[in-house]
Amino acid sequence: MRCLGRKTFIVALVGLFFMLAGVPAAPAAEPIVIGAPLATAFLYGWDAQRAITLAVEEINAAGGVKVGGEMRPFKLEAIDTRDLEPGVPVSEALLAVEKLILEKKADFIVGGPVRSEAALAAMSLLAKHKKVSILTTGALTPKYHAMIEKNYDKFKYCFRISGEAKWMVGGEIIPALLGVGKKYNLNKLFIMVQDVAHGRAGGALIAKIMKGKGWDVVDDVQIYPTGTTDFSMGLLKAKKLGAQVILIWMDMPETSILLKQWYDLKVPALPFGSIIAAAEQPGFWDATEGKGEYCLANVVNAGNAASEATPLTMKFFNAYQKRWNIEPEGYGTSSSYQAVYTLKDAIERAGTLDSDKIVAALEATDMVGVYGQIKFNPKNHQVVPSNDPKEGAVGTLFQWQGKKRVVVFPESIAKGEILLPPWMK
Amino acid sequence: MDILIYGVVNSASLALMALGFTLVYGVSRLPNFAHGALYVLAGFGAWLGMNRLGLPLIPALILAVAATAGIGALMYRFILIRIRGMAISEIIASYAIGLAILEGLRWGGLKGGTFVLPPFAEGSLEIAGVVVDYQRLLLIGLSAALVAGLYLFISRTRVGLALKGMAQDERAAMTLGIDSDGMAVVSMALGAGFAAAAALILLPLGNIVVESGYNVLIMAVAVCIVGGLGSWTGAVLAAFLIGFAQILTVVHLGAHYQVVVALSAIIVTLIVRPSGIFGKQKELEERV
Amino acid sequence: MKPDTKNMRRERLDRGIKVRTDSVYAVSGWREMAYLAAPRLLLILGLLAAPLALAPFPYWQKVVSIVCIYSLLAMGFDFLAHFVGLVSLGGAFFVGVGGYIAAILNTELGLPPLVTIPAATLGGALICTALFLPCLPLRGVYFAIVSLMFPLLAARVIEALDVMGGTDGVLGVDGFSGKWTEMYLPIAAVLVLLFFLRRLVNEDLGLVFRGIMDNDQSVKASGINITTFKAIAVFIAASMGCLAGAILVHLYMWAGISQFALDFSILPIAATVIGGGGTLVGPVIGCLILVPVSELLRDFGTLRIAVYAVILTGFIVFKSEGLQVFGARKYHQFEHWVEM
Repeated sequence: MRCLGRKTFIVALVGLFFMLAGVPAAPAAEPIVIGAPLATAFLYGWDAQRAITLAVEEINAAGGVKVGGEMRPFKLEAIDTRDLEPGVPVSEALLAVEKLILEKKADFIVGGPVRSEAALAAMSLLAKHKKVSILTTGALTPKYHAMIEKNYDKFKYCFRISGEAKWMVGGEIIPALLGVGKKYNLNKLFIMVQDVAHGRAGGALIAKIMKGKGWDVVDDVQIYPTGTTDFSMGLLKAKKLGAQVILIWMDMPETSILLKQWYDLKVPALPFGSIIAAAEQPGFWDATEGKGEYCLANVVNAGNAASEATPLTMKFFNAYQKRWNIEPEGYGTSSSYQAVYTLKDAIERAGTLDSDKIVAALEATDMVGVYGQIKFNPKNHQVVPSNDPKEGAVGTLFQWQGKKRVVVFPESIAKGEILLPPWMK
Repeated sequence: MDILIYGVVNSASLALMALGFTLVYGVSRLPNFAHGALYVLAGFGAWLGMNRLGLPLIPALILAVAATAGIGALMYRFILIRIRGMAISEIIASYAIGLAILEGLRWGGLKGGTFVLPPFAEGSLEIAGVVVDYQRLLLIGLSAALVAGLYLFISRTRVGLALKGMAQDERAAMTLGIDSDGMAVVSMALGAGFAAAAALILLPLGNIVVESGYNVLIMAVAVCIVGGLGSWTGAVLAAFLIGFAQILTVVHLGAHYQVVVALSAIIVTLIVRPSGIFGKQKELEERV
Repeated sequence: MKPDTKNMRRERLDRGIKVRTDSVYAVSGWREMAYLAAPRLLLILGLLAAPLALAPFPYWQKVVSIVCIYSLLAMGFDFLAHFVGLVSLGGAFFVGVGGYIAAILNTELGLPPLVTIPAATLGGALICTALFLPCLPLRGVYFAIVSLMFPLLAARVIEALDVMGGTDGVLGVDGFSGKWTEMYLPIAAVLVLLFFLRRLVNEDLGLVFRGIMDNDQSVKASGINITTFKAIAVFIAASMGCLAGAILVHLYMWAGISQFALDFSILPIAATVIGGGGTLVGPVIGCLILVPVSELLRDFGTLRIAVYAVILTGFIVFKSEGLQVFGARKYHQFEHWVEM
């Protein structure tokens, strides 16, 4: 036994030696490492990872990135931050970001961290290591770019290419609500939000604005803790108070329960999801057995549902579907894909990987992207939003009609109109 | 009126979640912190049975309950039996097993919000101006039936009486020839079976997600502590107490205080009366 | 080949050198002194040298800091559980309280880490002790469950009331001034507190603690107010937890509700189980193993939690004495078979 053990040991050692010797043989140019800290066990993690992978594969197949006369490929290092799991401290996600920077030698950070507490906490870390980062999914909090604006010199390495809550409310949700109100003569709003900072703030803001627009916001904003599985009391209240539109702002999977209960109780009000993670996914139809029909959802950026915002939109949509056998699922998909291309563009214009020069190049970005014209506000590094794809980044609101996600807002890219459930007539 | 009806529904679901936990603790003094994991496991089991093996609803449900009960029994027979009586080790080990099951399921690709079980009955009806769907009514009926069934099983059958004997005085039961470990295996299997039954009744209302395992555990522990660890009647009454307290908080305080209410109930009960409202007070064992 | 052991039993005998070093002869020669000092020096020098040895791997230097933070928590748990008899599953509560105090003192009053860390340690420990005071009469499982609820409740309350930054957390906390302070502060804290606790449990105070653990009734009967002593013990453990929280906050320049996360309660317990409870060194060894292993497994996503849960179950069921006790036995004793 002993003898055999030693033999195996020697064989293993020799094997190891050859493996080690074999590695540095790759002659190609040194890759540019993109670190992606994502909660890979969750929708907003895995969809972003898939989108980034797709973009990296496409770019590498086309020859890579031109840095000062040399073609260098991208290399993706994704890491699980676990920041959406309950019971896991954010320091775990921060350690993951540091691992990407220090051990995987990431040149850029693209993607998360996903949870806003983690994304905000990571800003100081990125500033400390002077790493350019493009946030593409998860955090929608306006605090992110407010912090950059307030302390530009420290946080200038942070960019966000996906949407942010203030614009989503003021530029998309409110106009869409007013539109549907005018069309069907609705003006009674009931608001249900999840107990997280962006949910509370978003709900309160919508309530305030809609009151100012002459709508009747029945009852206070209803706040539900993460993980709630019963919404019947709130729905009954909505029914009793004669609500006509139920505004939902929740990013937990249990929200599909809400829609099933809404259907079972036949609440005569249109479910209007501002943030509604459960209803974004193509699997939502099966998850609610079709009971979620007529639900509206906001997927933040065009390209996450089929539309023709720019010539690139359907190109991305089809490429994603071909590569992963599923439509883009969550709201961080098209933005994650776009971030890689935007980064490539900035690197090629800067001609170097130097962080400060890349920041300057990113600030000067002006390109046609998957969801409109991509430009960053040079003061706060937030992508410039618009309802016209020629002007800036457009959002997308869709409604479940039949088994399809039909884009209904903004009008410039809409594919259909908002319909009311039959029991509302 | 709606407070009354939905209060009963909420209480019945809490009672369902807690029943398995309190049964195991009552008989074998084992705090089974893998309870929530077994609950989720049963849900996924039934889903896999229906969607992968193509079984119809009822056989899939029966299979899931049986499988979960079996896993519960095996868990006790091969692992937990070795640390019987060391309460803290039992908590840590069973929690760790639960963690392994839950995270294993997640790693196995069972994640996201797309897994659902069909309800037993579709549709809804109106009682005194309040709309209730059939699944919720069935939930009340089934949980009442399960509690009654458990009561009959415990007080009428031979095995049930043996379990009761164990719960009352393990040593005396052993001198009367009751196999203590065997009964503990039975109680674990029953407890896991109840967790599975609760899952299959409650999950069609929502969807199957790994995270709910942790919530179910907290709620089960809350109910059992308030009712008195190991007391079945106490657990049912505590379920009603917490169930209504939660619904009233939602109506009068706001839904985000729901969990705060449950957690405060645990802390206050433990400080004031550790054995709960219906537990037998054993002052010296609990506090000094 | 094992001998036929049917009619034999294993006998353990102390090694000669162990017998010699038990008394004053411990300092009689180099060999004896080295025998006693070697394991201790190995840990102390090993920890002190770790940041230097890992200089080419800056990420692993970070991991050493995290190991130290968890070690502080684990020592606190071990001290409470195995020397006072209070099994606290609420380690995360201490981390959160200490962390929030340090973060708020730093961001609101602009105090430097040099002030906030001691302030958070002592102030946080006072707050924790005051809050735990009503639960101290509880025994066994009851205390364990109530302490488990504290961090869960604290997180929910901050969330529901939307105070102290709500779910966004407290941002913009200052980091440590220098790279070496950042690395050596946690290490120094672990070593100093380890020494302090090992002394403490052998003092009179430690005797009273152990008396409370073994038989609280008789301690009470001797006219000693056991609640006071339990409060002192909780204060000591809480100050270690708060220190860990405060260091963590300055290390990552952030405080948030996830500092009350369950991991801060569970991982130290796992480390204590693996390292060996009741030894105070064991938990540190446990952390030195568990945290890096968990980092190595990071690439496997959530599987690593499952793996570590299995390791924990294995240890608690099959090897509940832990590595430190096992190691110490092998170091001090040898075993052989004797006829029965």
